[in-house]
Amino acid sequence: MHQLSKLSPLENDKDLLMKIEGLCYRYPDGTPALEQVALQVRAGERIALVGHNGSGKTTLVKHLCGLLSAQQGTIEYKGKGLAAEHLASARLEIGLLFQDPDDQLFGHSLYEDVAFGPRNQGLSEAEVELAVRQAVTSVGLDELLFKPPHALSYGQKKRAALAGLLAMQPEMLILDEPTANLDPLQEQIFIDLLKQYQGTLILISHDLIFLYELCERALVLDGGRVHHDYSLRELVEHRPSLREHGLDFSFRFAESRQQTLTIKDERREVDRGGNPELTLPASSLIVTRDLHYRYPDGTAALQGVDLRIKTGEHVSLVGENGAGKSTLLLSLLGLLPFAGDYHFAGEKIVAGKGRLVWQRTGMVFQDCADQLVCPTCYDEVAFAPRQFGLKEAEVKELVESALNKVKLDGFSARVPLHLSGGERKRLALASVLSLQPQLLILDEPTAGLDPRGEELLLEILRDIDVTLLLVCHDIFFVRELTERTLVMHRGRIALDYSTKDFLADKNLTTLNGLDYTYRNRCALQIKELQHRHEHAHPHKHLHEHPHRHAGQLHSHPHEHEHEHPHSYTHSHDKSGAHQHPVREEYHEHGHPDHERDDHDHSH
Amino acid sequence: MNGSLQISPLWLLPLLLVPLVVYSGLRMLVSVGGEDSQQEERDWTVPQLEFTAGKSSPVHRWDVRFKLASILLFAFLIVSLQHVQTVGIALFIAFVSYRIAGIPWRRGIKRLLGMSGFLSMFLLMLPLTAVQQPGDLVLVFGQIDWLGFNLRGLDLAILIILRACAVALLMEPLLATAPLPTTLAGLEHMGVPPRLTQLLLITHRYLFLFVHEARRMQIGMEVRGFRKSTSLATLRSVGNFIGMLFVRSFERTERVYAAMLARGYQGRWPQSVSFSAGSADYLKSVLLIGLGLLLVFCDQLLWKK
Amino acid sequence: MHISDGVLPTAVSVGGYLISGLLVAWSVRRTRGDDLPKIAVVSAAFFVASLIHVPFGPTSVHLLIPGLVGALLGPSAFLAIGLGLVLQCLLFQFGGLTAIGANLLMMGLPALLAGWVFYHFKGRKRRQRILVGALCGGGATALSAVLLALLLVSGGEDFWGVAKLALAAHVPVVLIEAAVSAMIVSFLIKVKPEMLDTPFAFKKPT
Repeated sequence: MHQLSKLSPLENDKDLLMKIEGLCYRYPDGTPALEQVALQVRAGERIALVGHNGSGKTTLVKHLCGLLSAQQGTIEYKGKGLAAEHLASARLEIGLLFQDPDDQLFGHSLYEDVAFGPRNQGLSEAEVELAVRQAVTSVGLDELLFKPPHALSYGQKKRAALAGLLAMQPEMLILDEPTANLDPLQEQIFIDLLKQYQGTLILISHDLIFLYELCERALVLDGGRVHHDYSLRELVEHRPSLREHGLDFSFRFAESRQQTLTIKDERREVDRGGNPELTLPASSLIVTRDLHYRYPDGTAALQGVDLRIKTGEHVSLVGENGAGKSTLLLSLLGLLPFAGDYHFAGEKIVAGKGRLVWQRTGMVFQDCADQLVCPTCYDEVAFAPRQFGLKEAEVKELVESALNKVKLDGFSARVPLHLSGGERKRLALASVLSLQPQLLILDEPTAGLDPRGEELLLEILRDIDVTLLLVCHDIFFVRELTERTLVMHRGRIALDYSTKDFLADKNLTTLNGLDYTYRNRCALQIKELQHRHEHAHPHKHLHEHPHRHAGQLHSHPHEHEHEHPHSYTHSHDKSGAHQHPVREEYHEHGHPDHERDDHDHSH
Repeated sequence: MNGSLQISPLWLLPLLLVPLVVYSGLRMLVSVGGEDSQQEERDWTVPQLEFTAGKSSPVHRWDVRFKLASILLFAFLIVSLQHVQTVGIALFIAFVSYRIAGIPWRRGIKRLLGMSGFLSMFLLMLPLTAVQQPGDLVLVFGQIDWLGFNLRGLDLAILIILRACAVALLMEPLLATAPLPTTLAGLEHMGVPPRLTQLLLITHRYLFLFVHEARRMQIGMEVRGFRKSTSLATLRSVGNFIGMLFVRSFERTERVYAAMLARGYQGRWPQSVSFSAGSADYLKSVLLIGLGLLLVFCDQLLWKK
Repeated sequence: MHISDGVLPTAVSVGGYLISGLLVAWSVRRTRGDDLPKIAVVSAAFFVASLIHVPFGPTSVHLLIPGLVGALLGPSAFLAIGLGLVLQCLLFQFGGLTAIGANLLMMGLPALLAGWVFYHFKGRKRRQRILVGALCGGGATALSAVLLALLLVSGGEDFWGVAKLALAAHVPVVLIEAAVSAMIVSFLIKVKPEMLDTPFAFKKPT
């Protein structure tokens, strides 16, 4: 049951920044993308724009910043329709941050790129320089001012793209999944930047925790319509809505395998070298000793990694961006010319010759687009078995079982490129499972997934029985899937302990500045909000039912009080009192024996 | 057969292979010094064009417009030289300007290697296939008379290689001594339409992106056991790979263009570089072009002789 | 194969610059203004595709894909190839500074021709599209090999031998190019068929 809550009347009409009425949009092929969207945005508002993939968020945003013009309905920005010169000036005042920063960084160097907007605004070169420097300083990239975009790390690119918008001093910022793929440190930087921003903010994200930090108002789209438009707090409190719109991450609160965390402050430093256990054979799948690697430009990426992973172990690898995790993975796959000793399943692996490893390892990449190259799902999953020369009948069997494992039965003939993000991720997983690997490596498996996709992936991963190496920023996955955690820092494995100890480790931030507990805290805060149980409330109803008056049977609406239980999602304040929205509408429920009760009311 | 013949012993024949050996040796040397000696795949890194960070040299300070005009003209003068002697001097000039610009040797050597494959074809074929003219000296090995080694052909091959090397060495002072946008702005001032130079900048930017993308996709395939061979399966995989690369790039074009519009792009790229030329700029240009013309003049004299 | 500096007679280099300059201007005019930045992005992908090596017996050849560029971009292909060649010269010294014009003619003309053929003969059927794609891929490469040989021969009789060698060296490339083009077209038919309808091309400038 949804109610479109009425917008409270505007106190002050000049605050109105954007007004949309009756907006409809159809794709060129006729599919409707937006239907009858009405929306008002006031200056200074912070709006979370949420909804399923394909619910029309992106299309709406494109209208907001004038990339699409209204086919039907009106869009007014500052009281004027978006067209001609007003459109040009509106584009200069509305900043749009794309999900992939590379789409946005088309300049030759960071300076050139950030200067693009201010130059389009017609500023003089001196003003441009000032704007650029201010913006770049505010995102903390001063040192990289003249670097080409491809020399920046992912998090830096994201911030550079934001700087390109900030330099234009936008009145309104629209951000599409701004924190996808960022490590916790980069995410925190981003949140701080956005908190400082004074203008109007519209955020598209699946990440409720992130939205909860920043936004007050929630706009839920579903099937191209505005489904809810109310305060974010109300949305968060109402779990059924969250679930309906693919935002429910409360599976994260499910009883954990390691729920009882004991706080321990002592840490075990990794025993460096001379560890007698290292020579234990047989059960060790991966043994490395003193692994080194230098980038072509001379920067050391791995500085002596000693690692042992036993068969059947579930290990997670965490660390800040640039700590050397990816380099370590590529080295373990034999793809980089590393130096040092490396044995896989008892056999020595020489750098650059990793075929043996590949045959027994499956790696799922962070961006599954890098992994999906075939025209159909079947070909995709069959790719690896075919490479190792299996017969087509066997291949078929493997493919089917792999697709079944990831719950993509019946997808054989589909085109991988047309699948949704979550399906693609699972397909990528199937494409490495088809070889029945001994070791499964997952690089940031949750990147870009919505909570529903995460939940499904988690379910699948729990059921797969392999040695697992998980590289992940998401502490929840770390907790759920692994029992041992390696913390990487500056090309070394700085800490190696049980996941339980890792989760309890309070000193971690001092090592690499990553605050993994932050998200947990937010999640708990939301959990508090969602704390949900049933109450019996005295309840007045106006309802109609047949009843008797001294032998006379008749029916008419009448009001009287009775009690029955209702579940309300609500929070408790400190005193223990609680509030929840009053339900006014009539609702069905049984009134056993009520009809036979005496009714005395006057007629 | 009207050229003069010289019969040489058969054992000299293997000498023909010397340049090949030298070439492959050089190639190995560079790759050993390089980063990916272990990898059988080719080097995927795209070199950084500019070499300006903290650098200052007479070439770096040269006004871009003058530098472009002079070096371009000089390059055309070089390729019109017809004698090894004059081309040798031109190569020396190129060499000197390379030194003055203070650019590391590695970059120059990479450039020379970039064209080595094409040029070695001339070195191998021209001496063997050049048409024999009166006055040509042809070496014949033992009794194999169908294989004449024409020294004039060798001269021609060397001439071509020297010219190519001279121009290739000039590329570094030409391009590495200013940021690419500045160089392109210079070109605009010389009459190249701004549209084209802007396109070049965008292509250059996304080149790096797609190279990384392609590299990651390739790793993704390798890890799943893909190995290239001469087979239909390989061709199919390569076809899929390239197809996917295209699809991804086409989809990206839309987003890039939208991003440009959203930041106020209106069909014109904002331009900012301004130039001012001093007497030193004129002097440098006069010097280089003068030297070039002098070389052409000497070349003509040699021709008449 | 790219022609490097110092091979062609100066007149041919300069002439190459002039003719390809005119063709680039035509190509730009035939591309919608909105599409120009897009062409630049796509050119980068073509550039990267041309770095891919395909093994052939003991050696390997790298792809040129002029035919496919033509098929996908139509008249804009000449511009796209121009951008790619300039950057290949600037970055890798593949093809000389003074020979860019000639190189562009060598690669761009076959691309335009392939684009025309593909546009007019691709039909609707999958099989036909694949076949025409292969034909364009192989044909354009063969044509550019012939142009290369002609350009080389412009240096005089002495270059006959080299020209013949270059032609012979292109035989495997033509075969591989045709096969890979067919594969790519078949991939695109399944994955993104609208790309084969030359999204950028054959629209009159507005």
